[in-house]
Amino acid sequence: MVSFHPDSKFLTDFAAGSLAMSEAVCVAAHLEFCGKCRAHVQQLSDVAAQMMARLEPIADEHDGFESLMQRIDSAEPAAPQESAVRAGRPALAASGIPRVVEKLAGGNLQDLNWVKLGGSLRIAPMDVGCKRRQTAIYDIKAGRPMPEHEHRGEEITVLLKGSFSDADGKYVRGDFVVRHAGERHQPTATLDTDCICLVSLEQPVKPSSLWYRLMEPFVQYRLSGFSH
Amino acid sequence: MMASVDALTGIHVDNNDDMDSVATQLTRSSVPDLWAENVRLVAVKRDRAAFQLLYKHFTPLIRAFLLKSMGSGANRAEAEEITQEVLIKVWNKAASFNPAKASVNTWIFTIARNTRIDFIRRNDRNNREIDIEDIWHEAESPEPLVDMQQRRAEQVIKQAMATLPEEQVQVLYKAFMEGKSHNEVAEELGLPLGTVKSRIRLALNKMQILIDR
Ligand SMILES: [Zn+2]
Repeated sequence: MVSFHPDSKFLTDFAAGSLAMSEAVCVAAHLEFCGKCRAHVQQLSDVAAQMMARLEPIADEHDGFESLMQRIDSAEPAAPQESAVRAGRPALAASGIPRVVEKLAGGNLQDLNWVKLGGSLRIAPMDVGCKRRQTAIYDIKAGRPMPEHEHRGEEITVLLKGSFSDADGKYVRGDFVVRHAGERHQPTATLDTDCICLVSLEQPVKPSSLWYRLMEPFVQYRLSGFSH
Repeated sequence: MMASVDALTGIHVDNNDDMDSVATQLTRSSVPDLWAENVRLVAVKRDRAAFQLLYKHFTPLIRAFLLKSMGSGANRAEAEEITQEVLIKVWNKAASFNPAKASVNTWIFTIARNTRIDFIRRNDRNNREIDIEDIWHEAESPEPLVDMQQRRAEQVIKQAMATLPEEQVQVLYKAFMEGKSHNEVAEELGLPLGTVKSRIRLALNKMQILIDR
């Protein structure tokens, strides 16, 4: 059962369309797991629609209907509508990974550019066209600990597969976990499967151990090298 | 129609249902969402008269929303172009509208919102081509509220909105109509982020939108 959800700030900014791409992808991924948050986003869109209905209308300077219809008539017939197809599909892809993540990854997650970091972790940066944050897929080996690290900026983790735990609790598929700057933690992937997460970082995570600190320039070099 | 404009927000407030006057011209059916039949006619029959009624009602509202939300980076001509794009999508996507999942109002808002997000991304000269609709779907929820339930929820929202205190209307308006994030609203109003968040939550609670955190 999903038990960690985006808060009202994330859901409101998502429904209003003001959330940065990297965070929006995380919320969209969570929504594929969570009917409750989908219903909230729907309600928030209703609020926005009601506000739009109450705006003071700004009339046409001249009636543009005929020219709009000419534009529609002269355009190519619309392609089969993906949103119509989409409406009948289950929320998650057959692989169990959210469709939004597969789509942005260009299909199979395995085909991303993975960077190995020690024996237990590999990271694949994802370009979602977001300048403010880094977006990546983390793949943590079953039962192995991640390096303990401290956050310089906000980190969002959406669990896509497997589960992991840290001092604060256990997280399962679909959970949306936010860590703030200055928090330290050492997640450990549990269960018998590898753990795959979608991660959005405000600033690069700073590992605490000396070894990872030495690795860091390399990691950042690799991350930035793949972001275009 | 009794109408007034809230001086603070510019929100057009009227005591009649927006649709009442148009409703009589359209249909006397008991379908609660009076615009749904027009969208259906556009989808099934490519009915231009039905589309023209949608155009007449929604274009001035979409234009008003885009002029407010596209930010200082957009001029009137750009807002006009995006408005036209939204209406072309309404025509093209009419078949994907599902009245069990959303009202026409909400569906058209989501199209306008997505077109606006796309415009801002294009302006940022993002090199990555992304289909915005992979992330922001158009009011599609795989577990939809049943039609009447949805309508009732919208009635609650509508009625509660009229009773909200000004400070809550102000933050809601900036978030939803000006398209500003919580952080941007906080900065603009000189308020702590937590205050903006709690004002929005209080307003949402009154509309019976109960988000845990
Ligand atoms: Zn949720």
